[in-house]
Amino acid sequence: MQASIQHGFFARIMAILPVVVLTLVTQPATSAEFKDANALMRHIDRLWRSDSSQASLSMTVQTSHYKRTMKMESWSKGKDMSLIIIRAPKKDRGIATLKVKENIWNYLPKINRVTKVPPSMMSGSWMGSHFTNDDLVKENTFEDDYVSKITFSGKRDGIVIYEVTSTPRPDAPVVWGKVVTKIEKTRLTPLVALYYDEGGRLARTMRFENVKKTGSRYVPMRLVLTPEDKPDESTVINYHEIKFDMNLPDRIFSLQNLQKRQ
Amino acid sequence: MIIKNNNFGGRLPMLIFIAWRNLWRNRMRSILTISALAGGLALMIVYTTLIQGMSRQMINFATNISIGHLQIHRQSYIDDQDIYATMPWVLLNHLEKKRAYKFAPRIYGAGLGAAGNLSTGIMLKAIDPEKERQVTTILDYIRQGKANLDLVPHSGLDNSALDIYGVVVGAQLAKNLKISPGDELIIITQAVDGSIGNGLFQVSGILKPIEPNFDRTGVLMSIPAIQSLIYLENGFHELAVSIDEKDDLTERKQSLQEDVSTWSKNNETSKNFRDDPIVVRSWRDIVSAIADMLDINKSIIYVIGGIMIGLASLGMMNTMLMAIHERTHEFGILLSIGMGRFWLLFMVLLEAFFLSLVSAITGGLLGIGYSLYLERYGIDLSGSLPDGVDIGGILWEPVWLGSFTPDSVFIGIIIMISIAMLASLIPSWRTVRLNPAEITR
Repeated sequence: MQASIQHGFFARIMAILPVVVLTLVTQPATSAEFKDANALMRHIDRLWRSDSSQASLSMTVQTSHYKRTMKMESWSKGKDMSLIIIRAPKKDRGIATLKVKENIWNYLPKINRVTKVPPSMMSGSWMGSHFTNDDLVKENTFEDDYVSKITFSGKRDGIVIYEVTSTPRPDAPVVWGKVVTKIEKTRLTPLVALYYDEGGRLARTMRFENVKKTGSRYVPMRLVLTPEDKPDESTVINYHEIKFDMNLPDRIFSLQNLQKRQ
Repeated sequence: MIIKNNNFGGRLPMLIFIAWRNLWRNRMRSILTISALAGGLALMIVYTTLIQGMSRQMINFATNISIGHLQIHRQSYIDDQDIYATMPWVLLNHLEKKRAYKFAPRIYGAGLGAAGNLSTGIMLKAIDPEKERQVTTILDYIRQGKANLDLVPHSGLDNSALDIYGVVVGAQLAKNLKISPGDELIIITQAVDGSIGNGLFQVSGILKPIEPNFDRTGVLMSIPAIQSLIYLENGFHELAVSIDEKDDLTERKQSLQEDVSTWSKNNETSKNFRDDPIVVRSWRDIVSAIADMLDINKSIIYVIGGIMIGLASLGMMNTMLMAIHERTHEFGILLSIGMGRFWLLFMVLLEAFFLSLVSAITGGLLGIGYSLYLERYGIDLSGSLPDGVDIGGILWEPVWLGSFTPDSVFIGIIIMISIAMLASLIPSWRTVRLNPAEITR
């Protein structure tokens, strides 16, 4: 139990990764009617990332003991590389997380050290926060781990939506029993993602709000995650600015840079 | 002539003499019987010594090394190690003033420990070294280095204002992270205010194996050190209490619980002690598996001992049967010349008694001798198990030391003589039913 507290840090970092919910993409989606749920999910996933991205955002974690907001900047390239640097508050300023494939490193300016996060600490859920470490570890393998199907297509509550239900493949090492994503059909933006545990109970809800047109895509700028067992707690991610498809050299995502760019 | 004397006091020395001499008529048979009985007794004594040694190590493990006799927590800390479930420092002052027991406050945390390219999950245990030494011996369980939890001087770092504390790490953790005294340990954790606690520490010592979980993840640090890491300033999670060993554990637990409950009633503050009470538990509650095992060990000693001696007593029974059978003629004559039947039975029983008495002395001496050896040198398994072995969460030291108590000899001898006498009663009873006319024919 105690051992899970430290996961909070990574989990919160994970939360701001634009890929938290969904899987990665190799082909751009079209705005035509989707028949293939997997392609639809890929499109959703690419919303925050595209080929490369740069964003400034803030994350607010509300627990029964504290409420904290952190300001961050993030960069991503492809599905394998991302870098996040905390800009505020002062206590955490300069802490950086680099993710390259399945590896995660942290840079800690106070002690001027880079540490690698062991895979054993990335898996499983953690207490007191609202993301599981699986959210990061599994992001590259959503399509390998889950089978997605469009289970509803039509008007519901006045909005035309797709409902995609993703269930784990047999023997997939995942924690969720089912993930249901509701997607607004016209703008192809997600509305809500519901995570069910293996017993079929709703475990947590992610809401997507404040959709903004950025380039050719509609991107939800606000993500709200609430755990079902602690309804008064939440993690909110607010994108202030997000830019896509700029030229980012690979060396940004290197260990040398992690330490140097501070 | 003396036999005709019906006076018991006069006849007894005679009977004792005869019984003693009879015992050595068939020397080899008696020696074999004595060996069996003495062996059984010696085994029982040695077995008791080993089991008591095991029990002592368990109690030592349970109380002296890390738990203490009693522990105080908030209920929610017991339930799910809620890091916010603290008790305020004033409670410690209050209890120290009120009671003469020794108190050791502790703060726990969890984090990521990293050294070089290696990292792993760790458990932080913050203690007050001075107070801790009065309650437990954990700081003496150092395999390598020193138990120094103070600030260590450092230079050559970019940030010279950074405080670096000494930490003591578990044996397996040191192995896994490949760290030794003098090395740097990075700890990352989530502070209670939600910020990312991180700090640089220096390994000052490595613990001997204590308990598998702690060996693998445990990091001991000072209370100021953990406060600089997780900013938990307003209290502690655990209070370990050491009472006088002779005191009644249950009684002390109850009186301390009363103290604590009264205090929390008078200090109902923002921390709600009513919803989340402060709870006193004894080590028997905390490691109930060990407490149960100790109780089982006690009864096992009697069962196993009884079986060992019972088996040896079968030999005794056989010996007496043979002795009586081959002397039937002789007994017939004794009865014919007027010896009372029950005197005859008494004589035979005396023989049996001497047999078991000699066995008791021989077995007792053997058992005591080997037990004393085991108490001093133990059974050394360090060749095959250098770090001891973990059985059900309890770490056995590689040298199994016995613990000898004279009680075990005393009880062993009483059990042995009783069983042996019972066993010889059956064959001896035949003497009472002998018909002298028939057997002397």
